[in-house]
Amino acid sequence: MDDLLADFVAETREMLEASEGEIIAWEADPSDKARLDSIFRFVHTVKGNCGFFDFPRLASLSHAAEDALADCRAGRRVPDSDLVTAVLAIVDRISHMVDAIEAGDDYPEGGDEALVAALGNDGEEVISAIETETTPLHSSASQLIEDNEPASDDRPAARKPDNSPSVQRSIRLPVDLLDRVMSGVSDMVLARNDLGHRLRQAGNQPTIDGPFERLTTILSDVRDAITRMRMQRIETLFAALPRLVRDLSAELGKQVMIDLEGGDVELDREMVEMVRDPLTHIIRNAIDHGIETPSARLAEGKREIGMLSIAARQSGNTISIVVSDDGRGLDEEKIAAKAVSMGLITTKQSAQMNREKILQLIFEPGFSTADEVSSVSGRGVGLDVVRDNLEKVGGSIKVSSQPGVGTLFTLQIPLTLSIIAGLTVEIGDQRFAIPQSYVEEIIHSSAKALDFTHVGETALVTFRGNRVPCLMLSNVLAVGDSAIAEGDHTMVLLRLASGDLFALAVDRIHAHGDLVVKPLAPAVMKSGYYAGSTLLDDGQPILLLDVTNIAGSYDIVSDARTRVRQAVDEATEEADQAAARAMLFTDFAGRRSAVRLELVKRIETTSADAIERTEKGARAVIDGAILPLIGLPDGPVPAEKVRLLRLSDGDCELLHAVREIDDALELTNKLKPVKDDPLVEAVTLIGDQTVTLIDGHEIFARYGEPPEVTSRPLCQLPDSDWARTILGPLVSAAGYDVTTASADDDDAPEVAIVLEEESASLPSSIEPRAVIRLRSRPEAVDGEESIYRYDRDGLVEALRHARAAGGTR
Amino acid sequence: MNDLMVMAQIAGRRCALPAHDVQSVIELGTITPVPQTPDYIAGITAMRSQALTVVDCRRALGFTADDFATDQRAAVVAIAGYSYALIVDEIEDITTAIGEPGQVSGGFGPEWSRVATGMIETSSGPALLMDLALLIQGPGGDDGDISVAA
Repeated sequence: MDDLLADFVAETREMLEASEGEIIAWEADPSDKARLDSIFRFVHTVKGNCGFFDFPRLASLSHAAEDALADCRAGRRVPDSDLVTAVLAIVDRISHMVDAIEAGDDYPEGGDEALVAALGNDGEEVISAIETETTPLHSSASQLIEDNEPASDDRPAARKPDNSPSVQRSIRLPVDLLDRVMSGVSDMVLARNDLGHRLRQAGNQPTIDGPFERLTTILSDVRDAITRMRMQRIETLFAALPRLVRDLSAELGKQVMIDLEGGDVELDREMVEMVRDPLTHIIRNAIDHGIETPSARLAEGKREIGMLSIAARQSGNTISIVVSDDGRGLDEEKIAAKAVSMGLITTKQSAQMNREKILQLIFEPGFSTADEVSSVSGRGVGLDVVRDNLEKVGGSIKVSSQPGVGTLFTLQIPLTLSIIAGLTVEIGDQRFAIPQSYVEEIIHSSAKALDFTHVGETALVTFRGNRVPCLMLSNVLAVGDSAIAEGDHTMVLLRLASGDLFALAVDRIHAHGDLVVKPLAPAVMKSGYYAGSTLLDDGQPILLLDVTNIAGSYDIVSDARTRVRQAVDEATEEADQAAARAMLFTDFAGRRSAVRLELVKRIETTSADAIERTEKGARAVIDGAILPLIGLPDGPVPAEKVRLLRLSDGDCELLHAVREIDDALELTNKLKPVKDDPLVEAVTLIGDQTVTLIDGHEIFARYGEPPEVTSRPLCQLPDSDWARTILGPLVSAAGYDVTTASADDDDAPEVAIVLEEESASLPSSIEPRAVIRLRSRPEAVDGEESIYRYDRDGLVEALRHARAAGGTR
Repeated sequence: MNDLMVMAQIAGRRCALPAHDVQSVIELGTITPVPQTPDYIAGITAMRSQALTVVDCRRALGFTADDFATDQRAAVVAIAGYSYALIVDEIEDITTAIGEPGQVSGGFGPEWSRVATGMIETSSGPALLMDLALLIQGPGGDDGDISVAA
């Protein structure tokens, strides 16, 4: 039996066990809606899974039961004890069939139709489905039901799953147990640290140190293994999908290609299980409702084959799984109309909601826009279950869609209990942790650049020209005013999943490292400020802040942001005009200089050997492009590694070597123009020091040139030692690849250099674009266009000229 | 019912905690306060590699903790999968309960009635038997959540 089937059996049996109580409770009170729902979900899931495997009998049974229950849910039918009995009989039958499947036996034929008939479904659809899918024996219904009652008592005994070793290829462990082992190992590590500490105090004791070392090694091995035990590549989940997609698309007469990405993302084993069902549901929906039939696709001008792509990504402590299809997309109006008819929203509300909000309504319970109910999906169970299941584990789901272009589901799930990277911050004398994934940047706000202001009660800081709301962590947590003066805080800029940015003011930043997050007691979680707790290295517990929730409680998320933006725009405009921004640096002459920030494309670091110097100036190779380099002192390159500002005016680029880069800041003080040095635009005061502002226009006018790409043209040299050893390097420094006259090169050289004395030796078969003739005497000979062989400048110039000419062809 | 009971003084009264629920008694080390939570939650503390939520039973009952000294020992209990350290005045002893918990006409007073299962006779005299799950909900019951400053 293959793994998938084993999973199916195990899952069905687990659900059966879980729903057993529900079934009994439902029997006692058939009007209980919650029980009804959970049994409905069970049969629905079984139906879905059966479609995946080839179990037509199971599928038809569950389909029939689902139909009956759907009628009850919709209020078209009042559940009575007959119905309950019939449904229970089907659930029993499913259980027995699953046992048979596991044992690899064939379940005795027949009886299904009678069970289905006992449901008393009057919908023809069900009957027809059964007629096509099953080959029932024709017996009278009542007789079979009578048969079924005792059978449900006998059969479990007879068909108890025999756990033969051939079936059990892996063991299923309760996650609790894993947790216990894991925390046991953590305790062991702490105990080891304690012991290690004491041993150090007691001095060297070789007889103890040896075994202790061994203990340490073993412990770290065990720890790794335990961590791995919990983690699983999402591949294991993905592996089942191509088959699912293939079978579903074949069944529905569609052509779908699946594209899987990010299978190596690891997540908690438990999470893999949690995601399995939601993902299957979404895929099923996408193929059934999203992707059109091949003919419809062709009519729309799309490729016949629909694309379904599933990509997993890890970002910090969440995994996002994106399921996108290129189908017909979601119909906003249809969803809104349906929601109104269901009483979820009023017509007025629907008019006010934006598209995004309306689309999210598909996750409401009982929602389905499908006109027809198929055996694959579209009964309104599903997406609400998907959302519930994801939210249960702290995840979320969103949908976005373009009509006619496709639909995109984004599932966010946390990596629970796994180790997350976190930043430790301090206010007062207490520490808190923030998940690193939210942290955009850390700024010490003593830098005036942050421009801390209050607008009403809201504090704002300026970050990269935008006003960003700022929360004082000490205020948020109401721990009293910190000793640190306003404006001297360290700002942690946090980017929420929604894309909103805000600053959190803390007293100090501590460290960042891996944190093992544990859940907090409900009474603490209820405050909404914390996501968990973690232990520092010294065993002290600290709290992990729930960034999203904190931001939410201050209305920083999404819609609020637009509001703040608008209110702030006027203020920002003013500020923008006032202050140009510049990159402050110290050049190799020790001068504090600045260059306008708009010119700075990037800050590069290069090693000294990537810098080539000529009489006329230096060049450096950055990302395969040779760029002019200024700002180097005379003499050898001063350091192994040189920091370079890569400046760009849009077309041209050049590099400016700097000794040290200070900061980006605003030029708030007056700029005093400088006349005597053309390379300097102005001087200004920053802090209480003068800073020279480099004149961007002038340096580009003098040094700028478009980046030369290092697809180097070929230069043919004379075949002599002199040419190889002395001329060759010069030529290649000028940006050429070197070949010799005798070499068997197929490529025609761009330039050929010939010595005057040997000018006849130029092979006639190859026609170089330019020929540079070198003479061995300094004096020029009349009528001959040649360059003295040691006239380096002349030679370089000629090479460049030849190249420029070659470039224009 | 001859169960073992951990006898403790809470707010000057003798109380019985079912020994079955009490995992251990620890000396409280450093307690990390948890801002923005009801004040009966004293903070969190570490027991080995586990973080415990420290609940001050006196405050959880609605008394002020300052009126009662504590011996810095706390009972560690596990409720609904989470571990708590309960601060009490004093942990006295472990004794055997005699008989079933009973009610006293007139009740035990509003603070106590909320969390007490009833009065129980033990070999060291009568005591109030505590319902730990109710105790850790704090004085506000389940309206323990605080309004968030908008």
